[in-house]
Parts: sequence; structure tokens; C-alpha cells
Amino acid sequence: MMSGLRAPFLLLIVPLVFFTAFFLAPLATVVVASLSASGNESGLTLDHYVRVLADRYHWDVILVTFRIGLYTTLACLLLGYPLAWYLVRIVKWRTWRRICVIMLVVPLFTSNIVRSFGWMVLLGRNGLVNDGLMGLGLVDRPVRFLGTELGILIGMVYVLLPFVVLAVGNALARVDSSLEQASSDLGARPAATFMHVTLPLTLPGIVSGAIMVFTLAVSAYVTPALLSGGRITVLSMLIFQQYSSVFDFHYGGALSVVLLVFTLIMVALAARIGTVKGSAT
Amino acid sequence: MIARLLIRIVAWALLAYLVLPLVVILGASLTTTPFLAFPPEGITLDWYRKMMADPGYVSSFVTSTLLAGSATILAVIMTVPAALALARFSFPGKAAVSSILMSPLVLPHIVLGAALLQFGAYFGLTRSFLALLVGHTVIIAPFVLRSAFALLTPEQRALEEASSDLGARPWTTFFLVVLPQIRAGIVTGSIFAFISSFINVELSIFNTTAELNTIPVKLFNYVQYTIDPTIAAVSGATILAAVVAIVILDLTIGLDMLSDRE
Repeated sequence: MMSGLRAPFLLLIVPLVFFTAFFLAPLATVVVASLSASGNESGLTLDHYVRVLADRYHWDVILVTFRIGLYTTLACLLLGYPLAWYLVRIVKWRTWRRICVIMLVVPLFTSNIVRSFGWMVLLGRNGLVNDGLMGLGLVDRPVRFLGTELGILIGMVYVLLPFVVLAVGNALARVDSSLEQASSDLGARPAATFMHVTLPLTLPGIVSGAIMVFTLAVSAYVTPALLSGGRITVLSMLIFQQYSSVFDFHYGGALSVVLLVFTLIMVALAARIGTVKGSAT
Repeated sequence: MIARLLIRIVAWALLAYLVLPLVVILGASLTTTPFLAFPPEGITLDWYRKMMADPGYVSSFVTSTLLAGSATILAVIMTVPAALALARFSFPGKAAVSSILMSPLVLPHIVLGAALLQFGAYFGLTRSFLALLVGHTVIIAPFVLRSAFALLTPEQRALEEASSDLGARPWTTFFLVVLPQIRAGIVTGSIFAFISSFINVELSIFNTTAELNTIPVKLFNYVQYTIDPTIAAVSGATILAAVVAIVILDLTIGLDMLSDRE
């Protein structure tokens, strides 16, 4: 490493000034607004936070937001792991894997709005999903998906699944196969090898994928807004309302800070679990 | 093996789940009915023609492309030097600098969008192309930074040192030694950055107006009120653009990021 401060200073000055002006300063404005008295009074106050946290309704919204985030993350991990395994370990034909990766990445390159719109069409009362379920005789009447947490969950898992598959797939591809070989040579069954060797080795990929999915899920706006049909409210929708139609920047600021703090706590917890588990095995 | 078969079935089901909504939109955009139908009844390109004839959609496409393009260029100009500073020098506060530059990745975009609107209001930087541009640059910069940084490996340092030992000036070393080694990273990062900007709703929605609108925000505003095959056609156009971008990406740098060991 070279030292001396002149060169790094010159290299970093422009990005740092830009990020201070258009990233840190705006966020600081939100925090300040959330702490300052509304109207013409001046001074610091925690009133807006009290207003957010003393109200049952907000706790319900926070609960729904984080429940959707948690279920989305779990579903993405449970579904994404086998898919990653399939792509890395089972597919032998390169062209097919390439096509699979393209299928995986195309949704990532399309707007949330387009993808959620697809689900609005599919999950409607007369949509393909209900037609299929009724055709198979699984249900007698159309199931309500739009406006339920299940509907939002289906859309969210869809939007976020590729992130987990890519994160886990990268970790899987880097696992040293001689370790698995050693485990089975020593008499471990495939399931035991998976639990004690492969799974722990891919844990960093799992944790980074989970953190990515969770943070994106709790802060998602477009997918829940379109699939909730106005019946379910998540935190980001409340925040948007405050800034776009109510124009209460103090209260909106407090809501934003609450979302940020809760998200950071969950991310820190997940990272901790990842390191503890990873070092224990 | 049963486990293997089970994984295969799950994987195929998931791949179908991943393409289904996109297929539905593309299919529904071809319908001859005046309402959305899937499978489509009849096949026509009328809805695409209608989209091309609508100046609102065309100008939104132009705005989105210009915005994503300029934000990507700005992000590259700023983050390549930053990546160099983070990879090649030690200085106090380095960890803080890199987490500040990377944090837009995990920060809720809706919060940042609201923050930029409120902050910009103090000096009139709202609801303009410039207001959109600064926000988009912030959220996409981490993509370029990350992929450029990843290629500035310690092994490459030797080449840079050799170059300067042989008397090359810093600029010459940068253009002849450093840049070629990280070019692939800059290209990949830029493509992800461009796309993230092009599909963003959460940040743009605060600073768009009826005249200055990006394509995803315009779609979002429409879909909440009406759904008709024109919307499907506009969505279909963005899907086709994504497919083209990915195929180009795959053919030029290769997307086979999940290849097994060898």
C-alpha cells in the first residue's frame, strides 16, 4: 500500500463531494426534519417518533412489512438453493446453463413494475393461476390473491429470487470438491456431507443473499403497492404518502428513520448469525 | 437418485415461474381484443403501433435512456478514481469512505428519493432532469465501484509498479496499464448501472412530472388506474430491450457466472 495523502485525496475528492451533497446531506435533512418541531416552533423534539411508535396502527404496519420481508427471505432461500444447486451441480450441458442464466437474469433487467404487472394479470379473479387451480379441481371458487399478503409474497419472491440464486450459486461454484470427496470417503452419507460440509461452506453466500433480499423486501414500494390493491399497507407506502400527498416532512422523516433503523438492526443480526454459525463449524 | 430428481423438478418449476409473467405480458400485448387477454385472441402489432404513435411514451423512453446514459457516465467518471484510491492507497477513514460509497445498495430507495426531494427543495433542484440525474448517479455508482474494485487485484500491482519504475508518468500508467486491466469490470458494472437506472421507480417518482417522465414511472402511474393492451405493449418493449441487452452481454463478456470449478 502506498501512503501519502495527496493521491487518494485527489482521486476521492470529486466522488466524496458529490456523495456528501446528494446523499449524506439529503439523508441528514430527513433526520433533522424528523427531530424538529413542526409549524413555527423551533427546537428539537421526539414528538414525531412518539406519534409513530405510540400508535398501534404503525406497529401493525411495521409488523406486516417485516413479516412479508421475513417470509420472502425464507421462501427465496428455500427455493433458491435447489435452483442454484441445479444450475451449478446438475446441469452439464453448457448451452442449457447459459439459457437458464439468461432466464434468471432477464427478470432482473426488467422493471419491478413490469414484473408486478404480469402477476396482476396472472393472479386476477379470472387469471391463469385461478383457471389452472379450478381446472385441476383444487378449488371450487377463484382464490383471492390480489389484496392479500399471499399475493404480495408471490410477487416479492418472484422479484427477489434471482438475487439468492446468484449469491448461492457463486458460493456453490467455489466450494472445493475435494472437501466433499474427503467427507464421503470417510463414510459420510450424502445428506451428512451436505449438512456438515457443503452447507456451511456456502453459508456466506446464503447470508449475503438473504441480507440483500431482506433489505430490498422491507423497502419495496412498487410490488406491494400494485399487488395490495389498497388493502394492505407497508411502511414504504406510508412514507410515500407523507412525501407525495400529505407533505408532512417531519412525520415522513420519522417513518423513514424507523424503517432505516429496523432494517439495519435486522441486517446486523443476520450478519452476526452468519459469522457465528460459520465459525462454529 | 430421488434427491436429484426432486431438485430437477423444483428447478424446472422455478424456471417456469421466472419466465411466466414475462411470457404473459408479451402474449397479452399481441391480443386483438380491446382488453387484456391471455392467451391472446388473434395476433396483432396494433398496440405497439399505438405506443409508437403516442408522443408521451416516446418521450418517456427518450428521457429514461438519456437519464440512464448520463448517470452511468457520471458514475464511471467518479467511481473509477475512487476504486483506484481504495485499492491502491492506505489512508485514514478508508473503511468509512468505502461504506459511504457502497451504502446506496442497501438503503431504501424510497427514503433516498424523499430525502432528495426535500433537500433539493431548498435550492430549487426538484422535478428537473438534473434532480433525477444526481439521484440516479448516487444509486448506481456502487455497481461500477464494486466491479472496478474487484479487478484491481494485488497481483496487478506489480505491473503498475513496473510501469512507473520504467519511468511512465501516473497518467500513462493509468491509461496503458490500469485501464486495460479493469475495462471488463467497468463495462459489466456500467451495464448493471444503466439497467438499474432505466428500471427505477422508487427514486424517480418524486421528481417526475407529466412532461418529464421516465418509462417505469409512467407505467406505474397508468397501471394503478387502467390496464389495457397498450400498457402490455410498452411493458413488452422493455422486456424485449432487456433480452437484447442480456444476449449482447452474454455474447461479449459471457454471463456464465455459475460455471462449476473449472
